[in-house]
Amino acid sequence: MDPSAASQELFDLWKRQIEEGTQAWARMMAAGPGRGAPDPAAFWRPLMDQGVAGWSRIMSQGPASPDLFGQWKQFLDQWIEAWSKALGQAMGTEAFAQTLGSYLDRWLQAQGPVKKAGEESAETLLQALGLPSRAQVVGVARQLAEVDDRLERLEDGMAALLRRRDGREPQ
Amino acid sequence: MGQERFADVVERFTQGYAAPPPAPEVLTRWTDEIERARLRMTNFARLMLDPVEPRTGPTPRQEVYRKNKARLYRYGSAPTYRTPLLFVPNLGISRPYIFDLLPGGSFIEYMTAQGFDFYLLDWGTFGPEDNQLTVEDCVTRILPRMAAKALESSGAAGLSVLGYCMGAPLVASFVATYPEVPVKNFINMAGPIDFAKAGLFALWLDRRFFNVDRFVDVVGAIPADLVRAGFKLLKPTMDLSTSLNLWWNLWNDKYLEGFAALNKWANDYVAFPAEFFRHWVGDFYQQNQLVRGELRMGGRPVQLGRITCPVFVVGAREDYIAPPECVKALLEHVGSRDKEYVELPGGHISLIAGRGAAAHCWPKVSDWLARRS
Repeated sequence: MDPSAASQELFDLWKRQIEEGTQAWARMMAAGPGRGAPDPAAFWRPLMDQGVAGWSRIMSQGPASPDLFGQWKQFLDQWIEAWSKALGQAMGTEAFAQTLGSYLDRWLQAQGPVKKAGEESAETLLQALGLPSRAQVVGVARQLAEVDDRLERLEDGMAALLRRRDGREPQ
Repeated sequence: MGQERFADVVERFTQGYAAPPPAPEVLTRWTDEIERARLRMTNFARLMLDPVEPRTGPTPRQEVYRKNKARLYRYGSAPTYRTPLLFVPNLGISRPYIFDLLPGGSFIEYMTAQGFDFYLLDWGTFGPEDNQLTVEDCVTRILPRMAAKALESSGAAGLSVLGYCMGAPLVASFVATYPEVPVKNFINMAGPIDFAKAGLFALWLDRRFFNVDRFVDVVGAIPADLVRAGFKLLKPTMDLSTSLNLWWNLWNDKYLEGFAALNKWANDYVAFPAEFFRHWVGDFYQQNQLVRGELRMGGRPVQLGRITCPVFVVGAREDYIAPPECVKALLEHVGSRDKEYVELPGGHISLIAGRGAAAHCWPKVSDWLARRS
């Protein structure tokens, strides 16, 4: 018997069983309370169709070989790629950008007061312990950077003066 | 569909293999596969129990200059070409050792081996004390000084500048603002220029959906974890794909060495200074001021048309951070006569790092630059 035909038959059967199982699950969920029950079939069907279509394509390319792992890897790669494209399309819509923006807004609303309270309590604690606060340490670091800038400008000025003295630059 | 029939099919499926005697090459492949499975288990245990810190940055270098967090490094010792090359990568987001990752897999090593006097500007890792740093500071204070130091150190009269990713619009702004600086050649690798074509980030950061001022006022510096979240969101399946490829290649020690180094870099995110982020998103992404000629730096207008040196633009076909059309746009706006664009296979990172880059990108950049150095 042709091994590719046998494996094709096996996977067709596997697909049918999964579909039947999914439909049974969907019927069970639909029978539950409330009209807002999730639709697992709608979620799983594209996933399974993509997976099985990919596998069928691999199988139809030639007889099954001992490199079944390789075929499985190809199947997973195609599956991930398909989902990556689908997610990319969904995330490339204005609706997604708007949802993301609203989520960020809500996060900022919650984050702002928490961050401020955290900073104030840390400041109070450090002050009580007689330790420099974060703002003071940052202030010192900024002053050092400013001193560095001033030194640099002095160096530049001196270099320019030296060049003029040596006649390497027009006055 | 009964269990009996399923069992029949399974039996026929297995018989399908058992019927003809296995060919010797089939047996060999099975033996190889079993050996790979054994190596995968061994390497997995090693990765989990005894992870080794990869040693990155193999090319010898010396620090030429430092300004606050920024460092200027010079690589190699015996350059063939007189014109030095200043490499300006992105600021924040990630560390620049990706360009000198491993021996045999390093852009910097390759370029120095080709005879270029290679200088790297490392912007550094920022803290809260750098929150006042702006894009303008980078363009008008840091870049001119680093260019001057590279010229001084090399003793050359002019230099080439290569901007990668965010480094490219910063370099473009610098060259356009200071035409008196002797920049002989400008290369843009995967650097966004026309932000209206900048893909998902342009959409997500659109003014209608993202209030950058409010964001910066609340968050301050953009922490590394938030930067990571933003980039992960661009390609949510990336981690799954990486894990799958790791499992598949876990038997291969050479792959593991590369993976460890790349994985270290890929998880080494760098924070954005607060004001830099405000201007970067506001002026570049949201208002697209660079190509609209509305940007002013150091009191001067930034006009891309004032760039007249030879320009080489390299885009990556599968780049979703800086899509090719947004990178290529530089050619429409510069005043150069000698300008060229190539689009190569790969993504934003694989354009410049990895085996594909060594085969496609590095020789192209080196050849173009060699003729003009």
